[in-house]
Amino acid sequence: MARFVIRRLVQSGVVLIGVTLVVFLLIQLVPGDPVRVALGTRFDQETYEALRARSGLDQPLVPQYFDYLRRALTGDLGVSFRSGRPVTAILLERLPATLSLAVTAVLFAMLVAFPLGIVSAIRSGSLVDHAVRVFSQFGVSVPDFWMGIMGILLFAGVLGWLPPSGYVALTEDPARWASHVALPAATIGLVTASILTRFIRSSMLEVLSEDYVRTAEAKGLRARVVVLRHVLRNALIPVVTVVAVQLASLLGGVIVIEVLFAWPGIGRLTFDAVRARDYPVLQGAVLLVAALFLLVNLLVDVLYARLDPRIRVR
Amino acid sequence: MSSTRFRLAGATFTLMLVAVAGCTTGEGVHVDGADGASAGGVLNAAIGGEPDQLDPHKTSAYYSFQVLENVYDTLVEPDANLEMQPALATGWTTSDDQLTWTFTLREGVRFSDGSPLTAEDVVYSYTRIIDEKLNTAYKFATVRSVTAPDPTTVVVALTAPTPNLLANLGGFKGVAIVQKANIESGEVTTKPVGSGPFAIGSYTSGDNIRLVRNDNYWGEKPKVDGVTFTFVSDPTVALQNLRGGEVHWTDNLPPQQVPALLDADELTVRSVPSTDYWYLALNQARKPYDNVAVRRAIAFALDREAITKAAKFGLATVNQTAISQNSAYHYEYAPYTHDANQARQLLDQAGVSGLTLDLMVTTEYPETVTAAQVIASQLAEIGVTVKIRTLDFAQWLDEQGNGNFDAFMLGWLGNIDPDEFYYAQHHSGGTFNFHKYANPTVDRLLDQARTETDQGARKQRYEQVAKQIVDDASYIYLYNPDVAQGWSSGLTGYEVRTDRAIRFRDAALAK
Repeated sequence: MARFVIRRLVQSGVVLIGVTLVVFLLIQLVPGDPVRVALGTRFDQETYEALRARSGLDQPLVPQYFDYLRRALTGDLGVSFRSGRPVTAILLERLPATLSLAVTAVLFAMLVAFPLGIVSAIRSGSLVDHAVRVFSQFGVSVPDFWMGIMGILLFAGVLGWLPPSGYVALTEDPARWASHVALPAATIGLVTASILTRFIRSSMLEVLSEDYVRTAEAKGLRARVVVLRHVLRNALIPVVTVVAVQLASLLGGVIVIEVLFAWPGIGRLTFDAVRARDYPVLQGAVLLVAALFLLVNLLVDVLYARLDPRIRVR
Repeated sequence: MSSTRFRLAGATFTLMLVAVAGCTTGEGVHVDGADGASAGGVLNAAIGGEPDQLDPHKTSAYYSFQVLENVYDTLVEPDANLEMQPALATGWTTSDDQLTWTFTLREGVRFSDGSPLTAEDVVYSYTRIIDEKLNTAYKFATVRSVTAPDPTTVVVALTAPTPNLLANLGGFKGVAIVQKANIESGEVTTKPVGSGPFAIGSYTSGDNIRLVRNDNYWGEKPKVDGVTFTFVSDPTVALQNLRGGEVHWTDNLPPQQVPALLDADELTVRSVPSTDYWYLALNQARKPYDNVAVRRAIAFALDREAITKAAKFGLATVNQTAISQNSAYHYEYAPYTHDANQARQLLDQAGVSGLTLDLMVTTEYPETVTAAQVIASQLAEIGVTVKIRTLDFAQWLDEQGNGNFDAFMLGWLGNIDPDEFYYAQHHSGGTFNFHKYANPTVDRLLDQARTETDQGARKQRYEQVAKQIVDDASYIYLYNPDVAQGWSSGLTGYEVRTDRAIRFRDAALAK
């Protein structure tokens, strides 16, 4: 097991270095001069050159990249063009907001998706099953920003139960954090729940048709025992991957939702960085998201190996 | 049909989550600590975006200046009519040759951390802008030296008479007086120290900036305990926050709703004409736009009322010159009546037909995107095909800088002195003359007006400039937009300013 983990860690490191190179090159292809954006519409040539030099943009590309890589290895991701603050510090400031939103959204999604998926699989073809399938189709196809706006209009506007936007840190005031996180987390959670429901349903159906389920039923075991002990357990294995992948992608910040709800996370940071052509922040954010993704995948693989002994053999 | 049911289903799930989270709902208003009840309360303001940084000399973002307006002081400052009034300087004298200005500083001024603000701080601030070539360096182009003969005297020596020096030194907080220690420690980007009515309390990146009353302030102390600026980029959400009482003030209102809101009772919404102007520029380095007849043809083809209605929902004043009607420098001149026949004749005269025009607009300013569609349909009437190119701002600025356009639409924001309306844009050597306009008469007039110390003569020169620019269609001016802001009925003592400066020093909250 330890060797397995170490090998995966080394692989992840290589992937991360690859990510830095790809992102660095891609950014060079993006049109738009960050210095012009920073100066707005009023500047003279001297001011322009001065800021360019201060931002290190007058340096040649290859040394720029290796310099970046060398410092990134020590945790120094450079300084923001716009604010002049260290990128690492900015990312760490924003991470808690995104983490708390993503985890809440996934918990919400699981809370919704598990009952729906299981019921829909057991009663396959029934009215309930059809309703659940329509729900998940709806959730997948309706854009999340629209659901967000509807949520704001209903719960903040008409009913006045929840604040329409804003953020309070969980550590500062849990109750107010919860009131602020409810709408964005429910919006994201509904989309995630739709995807998850479908997956749980089909995974359950697949297992239900397996021989050992028939055997268990033939033994005269009660339906509940069959479903919970035999079917769910085995159907759960692929579902773990889906949940993890969903979580990992949410950790990158749901840009539209974070912007809409004024949620100060990684997604909103990325959005602002792209608009301002704040390359160091953009690079740092992509790198962080890639690292989180790799980490979650590693954890899933370990979990998998525990759930399914056949994997450990390989 | 069934989608309604499922929307309801979605609502139910949200309710479930709320129940699970076990939160109390309904009480949305921030009350910051126990002190909130004792005096003036904390004013919650929603602005459209986050400041890039809070160093007044380095930022160029309007969001930064919305906050910094309340934190910093300048030597002089514009009053409601944009006349320069004493601020940190109580008075000033000018030498006979107009080359030496001597400012007397207010006594006993302190920064918000309690340290004294002296003439040395003024010298440090201006020298920093000049030496490090920071964003506002162009405002000090004629400054030879800044010195402090004693702690309450600042002497500014010039290379040429500069009648707009006061506007340059006090027009906005980009030329604020900063504290050396705060700059050198680097804290200025997140915790700037100024001498203004408020000081930075805390800054939560991505979410809000909290200001607290500066008890060392030299002027009348603010009535509110503090101001919290929250960054809400969606105007619908900002308005919802205002209606729900979560915020007391916002300038991020959905434009299409402002006309209705002006009449609404529950909120105060005010709209005043701004000093900004929006215009269409044609690339005079390209044929056939080097021909003044072609440019005038396009000017005649435009229906400014229709453009304003579409782009600003009527919240603007059409104008054919740059400077708005409420300025002393306004010049009444509007030769381009909407006349398609005249436009066609001018195009025939110029021998131009079947023209295709590449019009560049930017999503950064959505009004340019909307206006472009109206402009395209109006120019179609005179046989000009408009190809609209919509870019994001970074790309837009690149294309503008490279002269890669037939035409673009943009605004010039926040002006006080007429020099700021014309020089950079219309002088042949101007830094913003991307459309390559060159008229020796205008160059000469602009150079003269810059150093003209007789107010009457100066005004006259700018009127000549204004007329010539309109006749040459260097810029085709469209409108001066309004500044619209809304606040809850409990907020008093606040007024919308034409220069968009957000000053909360006199604001009060009803209990």
